[in-house]
Amino acid sequence: MIRLGYIIISIAFFLIVCGIASGVERFPPPDFVETGYELPSPTTPQPRQNIYEYIDAVVLLAALGLASYLVLKKRSRRAIFVLMVFSLIYFGFWRKGCVCSIGAIQNITLSVFDRDYAVPIVVAVFFLLPLVFTLFFGRTFCAAVCPLGAVQDLVLLRPVAVPNWLESGLRLFAYAYLGTAVLLAATGSAFIICRYDPFISFFRLSGSLNIFILGACFLLVGVFIGRPYCRFVCPYGVILRQLSRLSKWHVAITPDDCIKCRLCEDSCPFGVIKVPTAEWPARDYDKSKKLLALLIILLPILILACAWAVSTAGDLMSRTHATVRLADRINLEESGKVKETTDASSAFWATGRQVKELYSEASNIQAEIKTGSWLLGGFLGLVIALKLIVHSVRRTRIDYEADRAGCLACGRCFEYCPREHVRLKEAKQTVGGSE
Amino acid sequence: MSRRTGITNIEILAGVLVALAIVVAVIALVKLDVTGEKGSGLGKEFIYDIEDLAKIDPNLILYEESAKAISTGFKSARAIAIDFDGRICVAGDKVIRVFVESGDLVGEIKLAGPPGCLTVTDDGKFYIGMKDHVEVYDGQGKRLAAWQGLGDDAVLTSIAVSKNDVFVADAGDRIVLHYDTTGKLINRIGARDEDKDIPGFVIPSPYFDLAVARDGLLRVTNPGRHRIEAYTFDGYLEFSWGEFSSNVEGFCGCCNPVNFAILDDESFVTCEKGLIRVKIYDPEGAFVGVVAGPEQLVEGGTARIDEWASEGKAGGFDVAVDAAGRIFILDTIKNVVRIFTRIEAGK
Repeated sequence: MIRLGYIIISIAFFLIVCGIASGVERFPPPDFVETGYELPSPTTPQPRQNIYEYIDAVVLLAALGLASYLVLKKRSRRAIFVLMVFSLIYFGFWRKGCVCSIGAIQNITLSVFDRDYAVPIVVAVFFLLPLVFTLFFGRTFCAAVCPLGAVQDLVLLRPVAVPNWLESGLRLFAYAYLGTAVLLAATGSAFIICRYDPFISFFRLSGSLNIFILGACFLLVGVFIGRPYCRFVCPYGVILRQLSRLSKWHVAITPDDCIKCRLCEDSCPFGVIKVPTAEWPARDYDKSKKLLALLIILLPILILACAWAVSTAGDLMSRTHATVRLADRINLEESGKVKETTDASSAFWATGRQVKELYSEASNIQAEIKTGSWLLGGFLGLVIALKLIVHSVRRTRIDYEADRAGCLACGRCFEYCPREHVRLKEAKQTVGGSE
Repeated sequence: MSRRTGITNIEILAGVLVALAIVVAVIALVKLDVTGEKGSGLGKEFIYDIEDLAKIDPNLILYEESAKAISTGFKSARAIAIDFDGRICVAGDKVIRVFVESGDLVGEIKLAGPPGCLTVTDDGKFYIGMKDHVEVYDGQGKRLAAWQGLGDDAVLTSIAVSKNDVFVADAGDRIVLHYDTTGKLINRIGARDEDKDIPGFVIPSPYFDLAVARDGLLRVTNPGRHRIEAYTFDGYLEFSWGEFSSNVEGFCGCCNPVNFAILDDESFVTCEKGLIRVKIYDPEGAFVGVVAGPEQLVEGGTARIDEWASEGKAGGFDVAVDAAGRIFILDTIKNVVRIFTRIEAGK
């Protein structure tokens, strides 16, 4: 409980550190009555009026509360499914997928590193609420509230098991994606989570064809491999995984005691059900101990190696920043390597700004991203090392249980458990008896 | 099912489809032009072409430049006023300079900071709006008073004196402050008030002008709403005129007009930034004609309009009029004063 308290206090402090602001419309768009000109529809949704933003926050709170109740108390897959469809319609199609908790990571990051940027209150709420609920109830946000998860869950028709080693390896991508998104948001380069959101074209029924194709590919993969975005890409999922490990309450396959009937063994399309383990032979134990010692020794080497490897991509990453790209372009034009100008370079020349000033600004940004890429590499090295260490340690498990970090709380396993059927039967009798 | 390997046909199909989807997804990602280097991809309706709008029908131009431009010598000229003797007073840098029509400098008042606005009363007093407070000087440059500061958010952009009343436009706080001549605050005018049917000022950039008209009403620009509003000294909104239009009859861009002056016949002379235009409106707000457009006011005229982004930003020209109906335009790009006179009928 003390640990939980520290985490809540840390999150609260973190949000106080971030600038939080409510959005205000500065002035209305001009009216083109006399010319008959019509403002073209933007490809991004119009900002929502204040009242709707607060309604969205209330709906999110209600959906999270209901999801937690349905997962932990009611234990009804059917009800979870209905709530999931509602969330897909409301947060996905009605709200056009924005603001979303996943993308809010970037707003929060930018507000920490750029004191001039203030996070809108609703964005802070969308970021914070699922984290708090995960701390208490596990990943109920993923189960029935996240529209990105919902759209993938709906197409899961022929689940195929992914081997553990592959699952674990692919999940590294999500850590890399989270780290890169944080680095690029912190340096004001780009909001890549939003830029590459594969389902946004479906929610808005518009947007880039390439992103639409990307989304279609995710859904096609999702027919066989359950929720590929959630498991291998989602950066918010990385944070939720860690918090879910600490959650006070968590979904359980069986409502009471596991009878080890093995019926639930293959019920999870996401492969998170952990089977009971046998006693550990003494020989294996010694071998594992040596491996663990070796990995701990190798840990700093792995961190440094990854940091160096990722830092080599620092210059490439800095190209995501508009100022660096502009400086590159101006350099090409100034040295006569290209003759024509782009929209951005024409605008720069028109300002009359000194080229040296632009180069200096771009160099500073490049240096920041380079430093950040060392940190990002170090972070990835640490993750890889910790994963290897965790895999080298064999844990004793006596029951079938859902992995606390990976379980998406979808409730599919409930009906496979004979004890659940007993519970439902008893509940029915109780209701019948009381009537 | 393949008995030897234990792999079902459906698993083979799934594997092929997943592999295919991954390849297509990677191609879609690689081909995605996130930096916009392949162009915006936007349709014609998004093109912002104002070259045609910058051209003004010569028949609408009612004024001509009648004297050599006066070089103010400022790095950053801010405001202009004409005193009772017809001398041209210009505020800029950290000084007020007084010129005669020939362009000779006849007086100077040194200031502690950059001025934002000024006006000169009939008895020769200079009321100068600094960033956050008003200072009063006599004709010899002696400071008579410095009023209380209005805080960090204040950005004073215009000041007008009418007998015992002084009105100050604060663009930072989006309010007009009504003082007496001793600097005592009497009233705040123009704050949003649904009971009084006052919508409030929309000031997206630091241009917010005011003047007292002969009809006894205070005229204030509301640039974000593209209009000039008339208030009583008590703060009641009486009426307003002006509307958005990129055409010459209206006010263009996000926020115009930026400055104005009132002629003796109660007509208005307005200045617009962005598409730099100085125009005349009658007392009811009907468009009358043009003093000068981009062709006359900016070097290179319409041919350079796509390149003058920085000049457009500095193009919040100020304007003043004298008793003879001449119009004095303070060119804040070149820091000169240009004098325009009405073209005689039949010329």
